[in-house]
Parts: sequence; structure tokens; C-alpha cells
Amino acid sequence: MLKMFRGSESAPDVSRRRFLTTSLVSGAALAAGSSTVRAEGDPAILELKDWASFTGDGVDASPYGLPIDFESDVVRRNVEWLTADTISSINFTPIHALDGTITPQGCAFERHHSGAIELPKEEYRLMINGLVDQPLVFTYDDLERFPRENHVYFCECAANTGMEWAGAQLNGVQFTHGMIHNMEYSGVPLRILLQEAGLSAASDLSNKWVFFEGADASSNGRTIPLEKALDDVLVAFKANGEALRKEHGYPVRIVVPGWEGNLWIKWLRRIEVTDAPVESREETSKYTDTLEDGTSRKWTWVMDAKSVITSPSPQMPIKHGPGPMVISGLAWSGHGRITRVDVSKDGGISWETARLGTTQGDSKALTRFYLDTTWDGEEMLLQARAIDETGYVQPTKDQLREVRGLNSIYHNNCIQTWHVKKDGTAENVEVS
Amino acid sequence: MSKFLKALSAGACLLGTVSFSHAMDPAAGKTVYKKCAACHAVGDGAANKVGPQLNDIFGRAAGSVDGFKYSKAMMNSGIVWEEENLAEYLAAPRKFLKGTRMAFAGLKKEEDIANVLAYLKTFDPDVADESALTTPEVDDDGQASTKIASAETDEVAPAIADLEAAMSKGLFGLGRQATPSEVAAWDVKVMPDGRGLPVGSGSVFDGEELFVEQCAACHGDFAEGVDNWPKLAGGEGTLADEDPLKTVGSYWPYLSTVWDYVHRSMPFGYAGTLSDDDTYAIVAYILYSNDIVDDEFVLSNENFLDVEMPNADGFIVDDRPETEYGQWRTDPCMENCKGSVEITMRATVLDVTPEESQ
Repeated sequence: MLKMFRGSESAPDVSRRRFLTTSLVSGAALAAGSSTVRAEGDPAILELKDWASFTGDGVDASPYGLPIDFESDVVRRNVEWLTADTISSINFTPIHALDGTITPQGCAFERHHSGAIELPKEEYRLMINGLVDQPLVFTYDDLERFPRENHVYFCECAANTGMEWAGAQLNGVQFTHGMIHNMEYSGVPLRILLQEAGLSAASDLSNKWVFFEGADASSNGRTIPLEKALDDVLVAFKANGEALRKEHGYPVRIVVPGWEGNLWIKWLRRIEVTDAPVESREETSKYTDTLEDGTSRKWTWVMDAKSVITSPSPQMPIKHGPGPMVISGLAWSGHGRITRVDVSKDGGISWETARLGTTQGDSKALTRFYLDTTWDGEEMLLQARAIDETGYVQPTKDQLREVRGLNSIYHNNCIQTWHVKKDGTAENVEVS
Repeated sequence: MSKFLKALSAGACLLGTVSFSHAMDPAAGKTVYKKCAACHAVGDGAANKVGPQLNDIFGRAAGSVDGFKYSKAMMNSGIVWEEENLAEYLAAPRKFLKGTRMAFAGLKKEEDIANVLAYLKTFDPDVADESALTTPEVDDDGQASTKIASAETDEVAPAIADLEAAMSKGLFGLGRQATPSEVAAWDVKVMPDGRGLPVGSGSVFDGEELFVEQCAACHGDFAEGVDNWPKLAGGEGTLADEDPLKTVGSYWPYLSTVWDYVHRSMPFGYAGTLSDDDTYAIVAYILYSNDIVDDEFVLSNENFLDVEMPNADGFIVDDRPETEYGQWRTDPCMENCKGSVEITMRATVLDVTPEESQ
């Protein structure tokens, strides 16, 4: 009969001795990287563990739960050298460690221009003015009385992957592709609010614009065509079922599906119908794309189709030997649904089509893909290539550079390459 | 401050020339004062913050607190603060004194103004007694009843009485109509054609002083930028270079954008506090730093559109549908897509990735 121990207090001596004995027997297995299994079996099974004997936390130990300590490395990260101050900066979603498609709010990337503010619902006001029949003011409670909808959408910063234009720079998918999140939003279609204010004053709707503005100190403002505003834009107050986090615009933000994250004004305080774009700082000096000859594209709102392998990747090395493995990643397109994702293990010489995750989000939402495959233990140059419902095929970095030159910052949706080595580690590389 | 002036202001109060009829309640005023407290300290040891300290305000000459940097408008106003002009000032600061740095929009309710002044009087021994005389009902009971009344007013007032706003006439009838003052308070945008610009002006000369004072810590004395903070000047002719320097001078297509952004978002950490004239002056100085205007230049709403931005014609509307989508909407290659593959660059060579440890 097996002797039972109570966890680590009494265990060390005995288990250490057993380990030594066992290792003589199964040294080969240990060297190959399998867990510390003794002759008679796995201590994880044979030993009576604390959690199998002592009681755990009662309810209410954590009225709003956080991830268990073991997952404390799955957090947003900042790249300090990118910006002068965290008040006006960005951090990155740990997409390497997530699966499925929904991004938990607590680790969804943040981008602030004057810091995340605390705006109480009681003092929240939303103004609609400009070319409307009656300028209106809504309270937060007013907004919850309009018919509302739920939609899953990705929000990608136009600068996502921007540091990779000139070459492979950051060694982790969190940093190369982590300016993205994907949430289920609850909110009122903007068209309903605009109709409440009345659009007769705007007469011809095809050449009108809508300006959004935030309540924070940056008062960040962007203009979009009225046509988009009347299409699928949401005035959202919940994400993934709960109130927006302050870093994502509590209590209300605008959701502009498929278009660059900078347009998704947080702490939304004002919506104005105009006859021309405001040409704010964020739509002229930033979020414009300089081409090789020095002219710059403006109004580049749509995020084109893009994909990336999240595992394996530099932060997610292969920890097992040759054999069955899952190559997993994310794909998305601002033009609609992802219809196919191809994966290459040889840097783009040959491709095989991946399996799309069974839970498909809305159009303009993240799609999970898997390639269930076998690793032969050899080096790989892993790539993914997304195709959306318009037939657009994610380009290579060279294809993008050919059109745009090297000076772009935003809208880098190139195919990413991970060099997986024989030891299972991976590195961000560029290939010919 | 001369005793004479102080006596005069106290006298004015006694004589009842102040037009508001509400009872003055220092306790209610303390609550109202929370709106002021972010910028103005009052009480024992009060120091200047964003605004000057407010001890002994009654009978004080405007612009006279040691060590506080006032606007020129305030310094030259000749105002001696007493109850009546403070009430006017607090109702609409910028209307009362054009050019004041005080960014506060104003207290809309007369009752709030009366109460906050009553509160301030408790920090001014010279007038505190007279104040008590004019408002004998300010005892404990009086305070309590005033409070309840004010709480009741707060609940029903905003949408109807104070704001004089009508119900929405839309399909749902939700929300209410915005008042012109509300729209004016929030809609401060300036369009490329100059719509939205307030009447005003500012010189390069004044702008330099303001810039050094309010902007240079991040943007440098000559708008050249400090550390990673934005460079506002220079970079002309670099847009087609390998590492273009994008500044107001080399890149920004519209001057309206500069005015709008400085006015609404700057200075960083103290946004929305620049007066219209100060904004004109700072924008004039940024233009000067970019060699777009000379040092004698005065920018105003009148000559605003005459300024030519060097990169005004440097932008095209998104042309991806024409230059990219066509060629990338193709059936992709699956086999033998290229002959060989070489690694041309490695991220670990650069070593700029943050460490894993927290």
C-alpha cells in the first residue's frame, strides 16, 4: 500500500529519494523531457495533494475574480521605448497566451492620449449636434432605453505591426500583433440616435460626415463618412457582458467595425453631423500613411485582412518533442468575414489550408484557426495567410513595400514569419 | 489691500446691492467649492495651485497674490474683488474678463454662486462678521433646511427650469434638446475653412513667452522636441527620405488642426486652459519656429486662412482599392510558390524586445 503524504511539508525527503531511484530507471524518458514519472507512477497522481485534502477558498473570497496567480504572466505589456510617457501610450494584448476569439477586458490592449479617466455614469452626457433637426443631450440612462444590439468586433490599432515595417524588430507576437482585441459589444446602433436627432437638416446624406469626440483631456476627435455611421457603428456601453473598463472608455465608447482603432472614440461625449471632415490632429498628422515619394494617404480607415500564428511563436515555444501538435492563430478582416487561412511551414514555398475554429464571430471579428499537424522536429519557417470574403489575400511584406515604400507606419498587414528551431524555440524573422 | 476698499466692499454687501435673493449657505457652498478645489486652495496654509489661493479674497486687488502668474488681462483689469463682481465673474468667467486664464465655464445657478461666496467669506475674517449679519438665517437649522431644498431642486431642475431645454421630438422622445450654451461649451472644433475660429489674435512675440512657459518642457524652446515628445518644427523636405521628420511645418496640411489641437488638448496635463488669444499666439510661434512667418507676425481670425501650410497638397485620399486590392484579390499559390527561402533579418539581432520578467 502506498504511503500518503500531506503535501510539501513532509514530502521532500521521501519524494526526493524516490525521484533519485526512479531517475536511474527512467533516465532516458526524463532526458526526453517527460514529467517526473516514477516507476509506480506519476506523483501528481500518487501523492495526496493539498488541494485534494484541504479545503479551498470560500465564495466571496474574491467578489470580482481575477485570473489565478499561475497565469500572472498573461498580462498587457508596454514597450517603453515607443512613447515618451505611459499617459499617452499603448500596450499590447497577450494574444500569444489566449485561445478562442474573445479577449477578456482585463488584458485587452489600451491606448490613451491623455490617460484613462474616471467618468461616472451620473455625470455622463452625450451630445448630438451639427446638421441635425434638433441638437440633443442624452444621459447614460437614456441610452439604455433605446433598442440595442450585440455584436462581436475586433478593434485593431492602425499601428499594429507598425514597428515591423523596416524589418523584424520585436520578438513576440504580443508586441508585433497585440494592438488588437475582440469583444462582444452591447450598444445602440448610431443610426437610431442620429434619427432621434433628425437628419432632414443634413439633406443629402451621401456627402455628410460625422465627428466623434471624447470627454478626456485629449478630447480626441475623428471624422467618418455619415454613410458608415448609418451602417454598422455602435454606441456601446457593455463589452463581454459587463460595463466597459475605464481604459476602454467607460461608460460609453463608439465602435466602428472593421475600421482602425483610433476611430473608436472612448468616453464618447459628442457626435456632430458635419458637411466636411474636421481634419483633426489624429486624422492629419497621425494615422496618415506616407508613401515612397513623400505624399501621404489619408482617410485610410479600413483594416485589411490579416492573420498571425500565435502558437508556436517566440513567447510560446514548442515544449514537446516531435509528434502531434497544434499550430494556432488569429485572422481578421475589416472587409467582412474570414473565409480561409493557409499555413506554410517552409516560409511560403508551400501552403496547407487550416481549420477555422468552430465558433465564428460576426463579420469584422477575430477568427481562430488551427492546423492540426505533426512536427518532425526540424526547423520551420511558419507563416499564416488570411483570405476574406472579398477574395483579398493577405500580402507579404515585400508586396506592401513595393506599393508603399518603407516609410509607412500604419496598416502593416503583412504575412508574419516565425523561425521555429529544432529546440522548439521561435524567433521573429524576415525571409526572402 | 487698503482697509478702505475692504470696508467699501463689506458695505456694498450690507447695503444689499447684490442682486441675488437666495439665502447664502456656507455649508452648501463648501460642496459647490469642490468644483473650484482642483485649482484653488483655501484655508490654513493654502498655497497657489493652478489658480491663486483664495484666502482673504474680498477686497483683494485682482492679480495681486504673490507668486502667482496671472494673465495680462487679470493683471491689468483694475478689479478689486467684492461680492458683486465675483458673482458676475463666477457666472461667466471669460465673458466677464476676456483673456482670463481661468478655464472654468462658470456656475450657472445664482444659488451656487451665493453659497460659494458665503463659503469663501468664512476664510476672510474682515467680512465674515458682516456676512453673518446679512444672512442671519445661517445657523445650524437654517443650513439643514437650505440643504434639503437645494437637493430637491437638483433632482428636478436640470432638464426643465435651469436648462430651458425641450424634450426630444424624435421617434423615441428620449433625451432633451441641447441648449445653445451647452453646444457652445462642447463644440469648439475648428474646421479647415476657418469655421469655428473665435475672434482674437496673438503675436509670435507673446507666443514665444507662452510657449517657453507652457509647452517647452516637452516640445523644446524652439519646438524642436524633447526626448520622445513630438517635434513641432523642422523636417522640411524630408517626407520622401528614409526617416521623414513629420512636424507642423513639414507635414500638417491645415493650420486649423494646429489651432484646434492646441486649444482643446494642450498643454498636456492641463488641457482646455488656454485662452483664445493665447492659442493664437502659441500657434503663431509654432509657425515662426517653422519659418512659415516672420517674427513680427500676428495671427488672428482675420488672416488665419492666408497662412500657407507647406505640405497642404501632400495628401491623397486612400487609394488602396485602386493600387492594392485589385492585384491582391487573386487565387493564391499553394505549391512551389518560390524556389528557395532565406532568412534576411532576425529580431533578436536588434534586441529591443522587453524582458519577460515583470
